[in-house]
Amino acid sequence: MREKQIRVLLTVARFDGHDRGVRYLARKLMEFGLEVIFTRFVYPQDVVSAAIQEDADVVGVSFSVGGHKVITPEIIKGLKENKREEVLIIVGGVIPDGDIPELIKIGVGRTFGPGSVAADIAQYIKDNVAQRAISSSK
Amino acid sequence: MMFKKEFLEEEEKVKKEWQELYDNLYKGKEFKATSDSGTPVKSVYTAKDLEEIDFQPEMPGIYPYTRGIYPVQYQFTPWFNNLVLGYGLPEQTRERMDLLKEMGARGYFGKDAYNLVFDLVAKAGYDPDDPEVRGRVGQAGCHFATREDFDRLFHGIDLTKVSVVHNICRATLVQIAMYVAYLEKRGIPIKKVYGNSMNWLWAFAFVGNVAFPPKNAFKLMAEFIKFCCRNMPQWNHTNIVSYYVEESGGNAIQEAGFAIAAGIAITEECIKAGLEPDEFLPRFGFQIAQASDFFEEIAKVRAMRRVWAKVNKERFGCKNPRSLHLRIHSQTSGVTLTAQQPLNNVIRTTLETLGAVLSGTNSIQTNSYLEALSTPTEESHILALRTQQIILHETNIPNVSDPLAGSYYVEWLTSKMEEEIFKVIEQVDKMGGFIKCWESGWFKDEITKSAYKWRERIDKGEKVIVGLNKYVTEKEQKVPVFKYPEIEDEAVKRLKEYKEKRDNEKLKTALKRLKEVATLVDGTWPEHSGELMPAVIETAKAEATLGELQGVLREVFGWA
Repeated sequence: MREKQIRVLLTVARFDGHDRGVRYLARKLMEFGLEVIFTRFVYPQDVVSAAIQEDADVVGVSFSVGGHKVITPEIIKGLKENKREEVLIIVGGVIPDGDIPELIKIGVGRTFGPGSVAADIAQYIKDNVAQRAISSSK
Repeated sequence: MMFKKEFLEEEEKVKKEWQELYDNLYKGKEFKATSDSGTPVKSVYTAKDLEEIDFQPEMPGIYPYTRGIYPVQYQFTPWFNNLVLGYGLPEQTRERMDLLKEMGARGYFGKDAYNLVFDLVAKAGYDPDDPEVRGRVGQAGCHFATREDFDRLFHGIDLTKVSVVHNICRATLVQIAMYVAYLEKRGIPIKKVYGNSMNWLWAFAFVGNVAFPPKNAFKLMAEFIKFCCRNMPQWNHTNIVSYYVEESGGNAIQEAGFAIAAGIAITEECIKAGLEPDEFLPRFGFQIAQASDFFEEIAKVRAMRRVWAKVNKERFGCKNPRSLHLRIHSQTSGVTLTAQQPLNNVIRTTLETLGAVLSGTNSIQTNSYLEALSTPTEESHILALRTQQIILHETNIPNVSDPLAGSYYVEWLTSKMEEEIFKVIEQVDKMGGFIKCWESGWFKDEITKSAYKWRERIDKGEKVIVGLNKYVTEKEQKVPVFKYPEIEDEAVKRLKEYKEKRDNEKLKTALKRLKEVATLVDGTWPEHSGELMPAVIETAKAEATLGELQGVLREVFGWA
């Protein structure tokens, strides 16, 4: 039987122009066999709705000018309210080191800063989505 | 023929000798290399290469200005230490303005000068209480919402003596309208102020932000230019920011080509709005990236000066020499800096600053070595300034204008760049012009392809970035980064108080009137051109906030 393709929603705020990295990542993840949906969001709720509609296994949000401390918790909360806590959340862009522990604590899988290698991100997604599927089916 | 026949014959002889030595030592091994934008380069250049490009005698300050726009370069006035600054509340940004001034940052002719960058919230023209912008107020730029914020930035400063850069992109028109209202309140005649505004609405052809749609972006740029060149004669109204092309992933040829194509389109729109090119072109400036390919970036700048002069002379028939001058602000490249081993960035920004100086730029922003990690700390900001000061005072480089002129390689590469830039301009023309190419998404596609290629070369190790894909170390280099002050609540509180104390009835009438004028200007373009900016200024005088003014423009001109 053919394995179900992992679906990744990559998104960045519509008023943040720093999208070079995330758009590059979108193409690379496709090359690594993942299905990618790229959107721009206005409110955190848009990310939640898109993740549900697209049946995403992974949500990747990019922040380069702040906002991660406010937006990320709301996305995670919205997914939980919709019983989609198995969705893997990753965060990219310019995230100050000091803010990372708090993001991990609230449920972000990992953050990927400038210079991250797309192959590593793809591998991380593949490993963790599989693991989450096992633990949520138990 | 530039060289005497005898000289070229001598060169042929010595080249032959060289070829024999080469073959002997390297046994037919071929050297293959390209510049970062893909131009093949040889291992050595000769007089014959200059003969082939039809090299012409040129002097600085004389058309076509390859060697510089003035007869001398830095001998009588150094470049503008144009360090971008801005974070938190306006009074916090003011502290950094004062610090850099104290450390010796200066504009042209030793004047005080400030390059203010506003946060992304203000850059898009939102107020801090807009639900879309939560978490970003005062980050990566200075918070700005009301006329009072100008007072917090500029109290005690004689604005007729200093130069201020207002880096606020999509909200240029409304923020400068608020500046005009502020100046009037302080009793300062607007024709006496110096400074720059961005007016780079075209850049959203490839930068991913929400913005005014293509056709209307050009109308708004022309409206702004029309007001400035008729009311603020010393104001540099338009900054063509090609920097973002390279930052978004484009190469040097694309940067130069897209920027000049944009300049052509803005000029055409202004002509449509009833202006003469010689009226407004002297106040156009360019913001150019100085990236890592040392000589290609220098050749790019020299070629851009030449292309801009030729285009404005031949295409638009400009008579005023200042219309032909490509005035340049160079910014060292942000994307070449790494989060890994961040101290290496000091070396990168130094090389890029040196390149900018050798290219004969007019103004330089040296990035802080923390660029990939945070906004500059005080220490890293001062170090960036010191980089410029060391080159200026310790190297004797500024004694001689355009010191690379005549170099076989640099002159050949300059001509090659010129040829490639003209090809891009022709291609844009063929596809129906800049607006058509924006609408079709062509710019974005081209830049995305180039960004992909760049990163693939790094991942495959074809392009080495020290500390990123070679000489990688496990041990992380710890550097102190800048921590943004938490100011969002304070900004929202100030906004609320501001709205409570103004005459809201008067404002309502003004906003309604503004919408009528904006609708008229848009719907009848260009018949009523010139009427928008005065209406925005009137509404700004009625104490409208940045978000309220931009809100009207968004509603009328679209926002997507």
